[in-house]
Amino acid sequence: MPHRIINWIDQRFPLTSFVKHELTGYPTPRNLSYWWNFGFLAGFVLMLQVATGIFLAMHYKADIAMSFDSIQHIMRDVNYGWLLRYLHSTGASAFFFVIFIHMARTLYYGSYRAPRELLWWTGQGLLLLLMGTAFMGYLLPWGQMSFWGATVITNLFRATPFIGDQVVIWLRGDYTVGDATLTRFFALHYLFPFLIIGAVIVHLVALHTVKSSNPSGINLQDKDNIPFHPYFTIKDLYGLGLFLMLYSVFVFFMPDSLIEPANNIPANPMVTPNHIVPEWYFLPFYAILRSVPNMVGGVVAMGVSVLIFAFMPYLDRSRIPGGAHYRPMFRGLFYFFAIDMGVLGYIGYIPPTEQSILIGQVATFIYFTLFLILPFLSKFEERWLMKRGLTPEIEALIASEAKEISEKSKKRSKR
Amino acid sequence: MNKFMMVLASCCLAASALASEVKLDTVKVGIDKPTVGRGVEAMMTDCHSCHSMKYIKYRDLLSLGVDKKKVDEWRGDQPMDAALMAQMPEADAMAAYGSAPPDLSLMAKAREGGANYVYSYLLGYYTTPDGTTHNHIFPATKMPDILGMSNAKEAAERTAIQGKARDIVSYLVWASDPHAQERQSLGYYVMGYLFVLTLMLYFVKNQIWAKLK
Ligand code: HEC
Ligand code: HEM
Repeated sequence: MPHRIINWIDQRFPLTSFVKHELTGYPTPRNLSYWWNFGFLAGFVLMLQVATGIFLAMHYKADIAMSFDSIQHIMRDVNYGWLLRYLHSTGASAFFFVIFIHMARTLYYGSYRAPRELLWWTGQGLLLLLMGTAFMGYLLPWGQMSFWGATVITNLFRATPFIGDQVVIWLRGDYTVGDATLTRFFALHYLFPFLIIGAVIVHLVALHTVKSSNPSGINLQDKDNIPFHPYFTIKDLYGLGLFLMLYSVFVFFMPDSLIEPANNIPANPMVTPNHIVPEWYFLPFYAILRSVPNMVGGVVAMGVSVLIFAFMPYLDRSRIPGGAHYRPMFRGLFYFFAIDMGVLGYIGYIPPTEQSILIGQVATFIYFTLFLILPFLSKFEERWLMKRGLTPEIEALIASEAKEISEKSKKRSKR
Repeated sequence: MNKFMMVLASCCLAASALASEVKLDTVKVGIDKPTVGRGVEAMMTDCHSCHSMKYIKYRDLLSLGVDKKKVDEWRGDQPMDAALMAQMPEADAMAAYGSAPPDLSLMAKAREGGANYVYSYLLGYYTTPDGTTHNHIFPATKMPDILGMSNAKEAAERTAIQGKARDIVSYLVWASDPHAQERQSLGYYVMGYLFVLTLMLYFVKNQIWAKLK
């Protein structure tokens, strides 16, 4: 009977062939390491946030007179409401943790290079949507940090030329962050995850067109590809188990370590907390904002620091395959960048002192310098590696990759 | 790439090792009913006049094992499901002390340092030679020295006050997250379950991948 139903559907809709082609039979490089698990994990956390978020929304009240109380109602009176809320608040951190590793993987292995530019750019769009979603969600509990974080960040739009003041009022729906802001942030916080789901689909369509990259950076022969199912379904599930263990440690044993104490005080526009800090995942960018003495300059620097990733396909001019694996200079740059991110995060967290501001400025300078020297360094490194003599395999691979790309484009243009 | 994780981990450690400005006393919070019950009583006699605990109802005190007669005495003609509101209206407190006494339901989570902060604050009162009372932890506080630490000279008296502060803080910690114990005990089951599941997935994964040559 199930067989007949599927047959009936298949005559009208390509169900079986779609599943076979895009899911179970999707050819996947056999040498993918565990760093390739994080895309699946990001999808999982997205579903988790949507599921917990919808149930939270059934008990949450988006009204400045009630929202703080409604969170406490969820935490105390709703059956397993505390679990829903902690899954969701911890889930936001988990999402960024997973996404940052996913991006670091892509950077390390150079997976943003041709032909995967569009894949990388849709990922960049997803990062922006995720940041927007988390930022708006953080206002909803209407605690002190919610209110002041939203006030500080919306205020940055004053830097818009000519119409800055109007833009800020337009965003907030009022002169200050208030009830109008809370209700619109709630509406958009509900909407954005579904935009993210749409963007994820685009991301996956792009992936299935160009196929996964792999640690060798080399386009593999067909014999080195294996079907996604069962090999990667089981590997992803095993990775999911490990991830859930880490996640559960936070949810069940230290959920408040990810919530600022000041957010357990109801928002009060008359009292500024003595130290306004964003969530940990925004800290490096916040440090860049604070490092520039001039407000407009700071906003521009912060914006560019996030968007600059989009230029990676052009900034990295090396044709050596295998990402950082075969490229010692690029590898050095990668680790230097990771350390610099850590320093910026730390500087964004502590209250500013003369010394910390200076360190922040140096780290900000390094942040941008690393991107700007990449075009020269990558070309220099390529020449240097060629002169030292590439192994014949790698040379053959560069040649075959170039041939393949030109053949593909010929085929496409003929069609 | 593995080095990358180490860098990430060491940055997280560095950020969490941040020292706060004032040294707080550490308190070992009690989660047993007798301690929390004593905390409720101390709270109702010493703090309830000024402070509300609006997310706690009289009925919740029963579940902590507090004697029903006492609860009835405290609530007077209010229903069991009434919240613990302060006896003194906020405006009066504001006029008398120059600062409104905050609601204490979430206090154990609402300050940097949490329970240790509240404990240190309650015990942080001292008298200067000129006879005025101050607080180490919150120098500008408008709250009087309720527990009397600044006048306690004898060791026994100080120990008694410390014990009382610990009871109060234990109750405040319970009140800030009444489901904490349930959460942790559920957490052990979840971790055990995930551990077994992940281990099995690991073996299945190895078995499936062994088919590849
Ligand atoms: C006579 C009225 C009064 C009594 C009784 C009282 N408090 Fe307070 N309390 C205050 C006032 C007023 C403040 C506000 C202090 C300020 O912000 O300067 C306060 C603030 C606090 C704070 C917050 C301090 C901070 O960091 O902002 C805590 C914690 C606290 N009280 C605990 C207690 C406890 C526990 C008791 C019972 C042992 C108690 N209080 C009894 C009046 C009182
Ligand atoms: C991309 C996925 C999502 C992210 C990253 C995210 C992030 C957040 C964050 C950071 C908070 C504040 C948590 C806190 O401090 O308590 C929050 C709250 C909230 N979110 Fe989401 N969210 C997502 C999806 C959703 C969805 C799909 C809904 C469905 C309606 C939703 C509904 C809510 C509600 C009702 C709150 C307030 C309750 C609370 O603060 O715990 N979220 N979200």
